[in-house]
Amino acid sequence: MTRYILKRILSGIFTIWVTTIAVTLLIHLVPGDPVQIMYAQSQSTTPEQLEQIRHQLGLDRPIYEQYLMYMSRLLQGDFGTTIRGRQPVLELLLGRLPNTLLLAFASLVITILVGVTAGFFAAHKRGTWVDTTLMTGAILGISIPSFWLGLMLMYIFSLRLGWLPVSGTDLKNLILPAMTLGLANAAAVSRLTRSSMLDVFTQDYIRTARAKGLAERMVLLRHAFRNGMVNVVNMLGLQFTYMMGGAIVVENVFAWNGIGRLAIQSIFQRDYPTIQGFILIFAAVVVTVSIILDILYAWIDPRITYS
Amino acid sequence: MVPPATTAQPTAPSLTQTSLNKARRFFSALLRNPGSRIGLFLCLVLVFTALFAPLLAPHSPTELGVGRALTPPNAEFWFGTDEFGRDLLSRVIYGSRLTLKVGLIAVGISMTVGVLVGLVAGYAGGWLEAILMRTVDVLFSFTETLIALAAVAVLGPSLTNAMIAVGISSIPYYARITYGAVLVEKNKEYFKAAQALGAQHGRLLFRHILPNILSPIIVIATVGVSIAVLSASALSFLGLGAQPPSPEWGAILAAGRDYFKTAPWITTFPGVAIALTVLGFNLLGDGLREALDPQQRQ
Amino acid sequence: MRRSSTPRFLSAPLKQLCFGLLAAAIPLSLAACSGESPKASDSGASTGTPQEGGSLVWARYGDADSLDPHRTTTTLSWQVFDQIYDTLLAFDDNGEVVPNLAEEWTVSEDGLEATFVLNPDIVCHDGTPFDANDVKYTAERAISEDNPSVTKGAWGPIETVEVVDPQTVKFQFSQPFGAFVSFMADPFSSQICDSAAELGDAFGVSEAIGTGPWKLVSWTKGDEIVLEKNADYQNFGRPISNPGAPYLDQLVIKQIPEPQTRLAGLETGELHVIAEPPLEELDAIESDHSLENYIATKTGQNVFFEFTVSRPPFDDKRARQAVAYAVDPEQAIDIVFGDVVKRERCPVARGVMGNDQDFCAQHGYDYDPEKAQELLAELGYGPDQPLEVTLMTWVGGNREKMVQVFQNQLAQVGIQADIETMDIGTLNARVKQENETKTGESTFDMMGWAWYDPDILHQLWASPGAYSGYQSPELDALLEKTRTTVNSDERLEAVKEAEKYLLENAVHVPLYTPGWLWIYTARDEVNGFKIGPFDRPLFNDVKLSS
Repeated sequence: MTRYILKRILSGIFTIWVTTIAVTLLIHLVPGDPVQIMYAQSQSTTPEQLEQIRHQLGLDRPIYEQYLMYMSRLLQGDFGTTIRGRQPVLELLLGRLPNTLLLAFASLVITILVGVTAGFFAAHKRGTWVDTTLMTGAILGISIPSFWLGLMLMYIFSLRLGWLPVSGTDLKNLILPAMTLGLANAAAVSRLTRSSMLDVFTQDYIRTARAKGLAERMVLLRHAFRNGMVNVVNMLGLQFTYMMGGAIVVENVFAWNGIGRLAIQSIFQRDYPTIQGFILIFAAVVVTVSIILDILYAWIDPRITYS
Repeated sequence: MVPPATTAQPTAPSLTQTSLNKARRFFSALLRNPGSRIGLFLCLVLVFTALFAPLLAPHSPTELGVGRALTPPNAEFWFGTDEFGRDLLSRVIYGSRLTLKVGLIAVGISMTVGVLVGLVAGYAGGWLEAILMRTVDVLFSFTETLIALAAVAVLGPSLTNAMIAVGISSIPYYARITYGAVLVEKNKEYFKAAQALGAQHGRLLFRHILPNILSPIIVIATVGVSIAVLSASALSFLGLGAQPPSPEWGAILAAGRDYFKTAPWITTFPGVAIALTVLGFNLLGDGLREALDPQQRQ
Repeated sequence: MRRSSTPRFLSAPLKQLCFGLLAAAIPLSLAACSGESPKASDSGASTGTPQEGGSLVWARYGDADSLDPHRTTTTLSWQVFDQIYDTLLAFDDNGEVVPNLAEEWTVSEDGLEATFVLNPDIVCHDGTPFDANDVKYTAERAISEDNPSVTKGAWGPIETVEVVDPQTVKFQFSQPFGAFVSFMADPFSSQICDSAAELGDAFGVSEAIGTGPWKLVSWTKGDEIVLEKNADYQNFGRPISNPGAPYLDQLVIKQIPEPQTRLAGLETGELHVIAEPPLEELDAIESDHSLENYIATKTGQNVFFEFTVSRPPFDDKRARQAVAYAVDPEQAIDIVFGDVVKRERCPVARGVMGNDQDFCAQHGYDYDPEKAQELLAELGYGPDQPLEVTLMTWVGGNREKMVQVFQNQLAQVGIQADIETMDIGTLNARVKQENETKTGESTFDMMGWAWYDPDILHQLWASPGAYSGYQSPELDALLEKTRTTVNSDERLEAVKEAEKYLLENAVHVPLYTPGWLWIYTARDEVNGFKIGPFDRPLFNDVKLSS
């Protein structure tokens, strides 16, 4: 177990390390002169000042040196400052991150509740109209773009019914974006749950339990559901990653003030330090949460082999 | 599936005499499923619309209609008009071309690069394998949205860049499948035999491994089109993809947001179009998966 | 309370009348051309009594770039820092300059000296007294070579700033500079307290020290700026009736990019005031008794085309003229705005000296696609070889739609325009960058500037100009004359000469006015909201009804 955890953590660190390299290279892949693109926005920056900025950022040095500089700054918690407004990037991102995490976890809860329930019942009532209806709903669900679903929900619940606010970053405003993101992913989860439940239903121990005359409800809950859930817990990590990715889009539909919204603004403003910081923070969060969930899974499921 | 030991030039299980029969069986399996029938139908509608857009569209997709802006759907404008009085139906019809293009090019990029990476990594082994597959793992641990976003951040917003970005973001799927298949095939007797007989690397890879990964790749590519369409329209919706006056569906939706309350048809029809396209490829992908891999059928 | 510059009639002829009269530069009480709106008086009955205290949320499509008045020129920025800082002088409702932080001022006969005497007992947000040293600090900071100041040009040819005594400050110029006095009423000349020097890079980002009615509490970039009332505030010249601190406790300025979302937020009561409601909803808002539209009349805004002249094809006058002939701004306005904006023919804005629509129309361009095609043919472009260009503009204010109509019109004469929209800060930078590069794609842009004086032409076009764009010795001479001529009739002539040159050479192709952040919608419980001249929202008088 300890070895497994260690291995997971090491692979996580590796992922983040590769990301830092990618992020350093990113600025060099920009067509044209990134410094000019970024800093010309301060309007009256002279060519000499640009040269000075280039020097400060180390962009006039060999790339490996730049990378080392960037890494040593990162390790000191210095992610640079935003081009517009000159705010520390890390501070800015960490200020917004809780909002994104809140949205992602709230959506994850909805995904699990709706997706698992639907998948479980579809499997339980396999081949009946319940199954057909739920699975038709699921395939429709994975086909609907989240931004469109978001607009439709906003149209119905905010504009027509007036039940929920349209945008903002208060708790009350969380409902619609979390529903949008949660439902979009619930469709995929219900499909996965259904097939993993079908596997479980055909297992011997379920047949045995049934043969022993255990009440159907008991069989379902005690055995089938619990075992089926192991697979669901297994995919939590991946689902969380999807939530984080989906949050980028949904935040922009509902003006939810998370890092995804900030990222889009930064792209429009060519604010590369912020974009770099965003990618790193995103990677760090996704990797960390995945590791935690994987370890939890390993801890819950005694069958797992730590290879 | 071990080839006859007597042949000097070993042959892999491939599409030869039985291929016709196989194809027939495959199609009948595919069409037995109502879901894949619907999927195939939707995909064909998209292709048909894209090919014959100029004949199908009742109006010009770009011509401004002074005085008829924001007309609700009626007999002349079935889908209504947008904020410039342009015919929304015609725009959605022309948009299908972009959607199809996005789907095909993005999938083309991710499939070509992904399969190559998988082949090289699996076959070469050693440090090249380590670097390539670890990179794929890293890509895999982020979502398509993030990778696409990073790519657009570098390349700048445009539909072409969005296609490339979406293409890059799906590379890991193909790379992993191919890589896995290569590892399996590499250890099979016929492969070792062929290698021992001095068959050329490239030939070996293409003749023996590609046919084996064809089925899963077809399935992934089909579903991949739906993912590409979704991702690209999301990028356009965020303003990072197609730029005006492009009738790309995500871009129409984004522009229609301003008229969300007064003219909901502008956001409705392109939204339905995206959903149906994605649905079509998803259903077809599901159907293909079942038809190609009977074991997985449930 | 809603008098002054905020008539609510969308199609009222009164507004045109205002514009017309202002254009003729006749001092006219603006109150006369706005009037009390009929609904304003009905609606008062339906709401409770206005009360002091509370927090008001004002939402706009974008965020400020900086709260350092020398680092940005965007309306989104100065509309915020105008709340935090104050100016030596102010514009009254008629757009006339009146005392503000300075209780009096004198300009020497030769126009080379301007002296300001400050009001006593003005206190900075950090508690330090505001005196002549602060004025000197601000001016020197604005024109310093070490400071990347973007307003340098507007301050004119300042030679020295002298502290005569703590209440008196004297500016000396190397040349007469007629626009200086009115510049002292513009937010670009916002007075910064010299204690700001100690803040270093935090100034304008997380901290700001001024003497204005509101103090900066926090700024969450891209989301909201929180201001609290400055309890020590004294008003001397702003066109409001409250002489002291604002009645509200807090002013929150939020960024909400989507017009529909802003409106929905207003409807649900999350927001109190929004800038730029969705234009297609204006009629619906009019008939909604809980909402009010406020339209700024005297904005000084001018939206125009300008071209990247550092390379072909727009280094050739004929290419610029072809674009000017190819577009039909009237049709575009009709499709996109209806009657809330007007066609503009002059390079200076309506209400500003030199804005003479007939004169400018004579030297400008009417929609003439054939003419455009002829010019293009001369340059070697035709059906087989279309001119490919990029048209840039900044986001918001339905400009994305305007450029799409222009794109369509340009296509009809064989100019293929790609559209790029970006935020205003990026556009400002991009245009300058394009002008400074000799190679690259052919670009032109739809830009907007607001200024209260024809000196705008000097700032934009005197070499090297705001964007390093079109430059010529001839134009420089004409523009110099508009600065150094003190006699106002002669100055008017000089301004018109400069305008004629800009128009005939298709350097500055005027399109429409106003162009951005000129329509506001407020909830009914907001009492006392006002838009001062040149589009300055004022919250000092605001009380919320319970």
